[in-house]
Amino acid sequence: MKTLMMAAALAILSVSAASAQSDPVAVRKAIMASNGASAGLAVKLMKGEVRYDPAIAKAVLEAINVNALTIGNYFPEGSGSGRETEASPKIWEDPAGFAKIVAKFQADAGEALKAGGKRGPADLAAFKTAIEPVFGDCKSCHQVYRLDR
Amino acid sequence: MSGRRLRGFLLAGAAIVAAAVVLFVLSMPARLSPKVLAGLSRADAAHGEEVFWASGCAACHAQPGVKSGDRPVLSGGLELKSGFGTFVVPNISPDPVHGIGKWTLADFANAVMRGVSPGGRNYYPAFPYTSFSRMHPQDVADLFAYLKTLPPSANDPRETSLAFPYSIRRGVDLWKWLYLHPGTVVSFNSASDIVRRGQYLVEGPGHCGECHTPRNAIGGQVLSKWLSGARMPDGKGKAPNITPHRSGIGDWTAPEMVSFFQTGFTPDFDSVGGAMVEVQENLAHLPKSDLEAIAAYLKAIPPLPSSAGKDSHSRSEDEEGAG
Repeated sequence: MKTLMMAAALAILSVSAASAQSDPVAVRKAIMASNGASAGLAVKLMKGEVRYDPAIAKAVLEAINVNALTIGNYFPEGSGSGRETEASPKIWEDPAGFAKIVAKFQADAGEALKAGGKRGPADLAAFKTAIEPVFGDCKSCHQVYRLDR
Repeated sequence: MSGRRLRGFLLAGAAIVAAAVVLFVLSMPARLSPKVLAGLSRADAAHGEEVFWASGCAACHAQPGVKSGDRPVLSGGLELKSGFGTFVVPNISPDPVHGIGKWTLADFANAVMRGVSPGGRNYYPAFPYTSFSRMHPQDVADLFAYLKTLPPSANDPRETSLAFPYSIRRGVDLWKWLYLHPGTVVSFNSASDIVRRGQYLVEGPGHCGECHTPRNAIGGQVLSKWLSGARMPDGKGKAPNITPHRSGIGDWTAPEMVSFFQTGFTPDFDSVGGAMVEVQENLAHLPKSDLEAIAAYLKAIPPLPSSAGKDSHSRSEDEEGAG
């Protein structure tokens, strides 16, 4: 039974891996959409439009952390052309620079999550401090590695 | 009269007309009237800093990597690639040898508002003096006073040298005759003070039209397509349509625009990118009332369809995200 479940789980994993491989643009767009939604909720918390709760903040930080850990895997060579992507050719012209900026995003997202602890940042001020460097990473990456086509 | 003589007369006539046009253009008052600068109040460097952020000087002139917040070092050196060649941004720090430390206010105002160097040479319009010509002289004087407070730099960027025919800087006189018009771009039948303030900021110091308005083959802005988006001058990517059209930012509210200028997040929480990052970070220094004025103006201008193809900045038209 256990083996069967393992096999099923592996099958599901390999199916999703295959579709990610065949359409990395769709996957990275989904990751960016998740980042956008997380940023949106974060800003609403900061503006007081959504009442602050450490659990909400933790969900935001966890989502961004997963996105940071995965986004870099979905820019394979050859996936930068066509009107459906805004990825800049600079990603492939300067792979070291791109890797560095993704690594910074991962470090900042991980740091923010850690700062919040198990239950999330205790109050809004702590949440703001934690997430601000991550917001800076959105901009600094989009400044260089995204192209409005 | 024989056909040949007639042709001769017509040719001579055409040559005289052409010569007259050239003479007219070359004898134009290229410099500001001294009256413009007479009677200004004492320059206010603190206000000049606001003008500095509104004008986005740092985006091109500051040392790359020096982020806003630090005192910018306006050492120049940035290379702007375009279809006409590569423009090299000069040092405008207050260094007396390498920068503009020896300039008078008249030198500075003529450079900014008329595109003329202290020696009488034309600057190329990559320097957005078509927009800056609409600035209040007092703002220019205040800006000059602020620039003098910044750190000097001994950087010596190379001279801009374009290929023929653009190498002939006198040719810019003709270009100025066609495109340097200090009047307002949009005419409103009636506009509130806040819209007028926004008009000044956008059409003048903010020089938004330099990227967001398409240009013709010789680099003149197509004012009938004002702010409706354009390919970036380096050919990579575009500046989006920022008119209140549905293919522009018609679905952004004024407070959403203000929030974008302050935080860099669009209404659907995409982040600002490309060249607009520096512009946004400069704008974030402005008083909220000025950001509200810019938003009010952008809501009031004629809505136009996008000039640079499909736009991805409208929530109603495009997918989410930006992979």
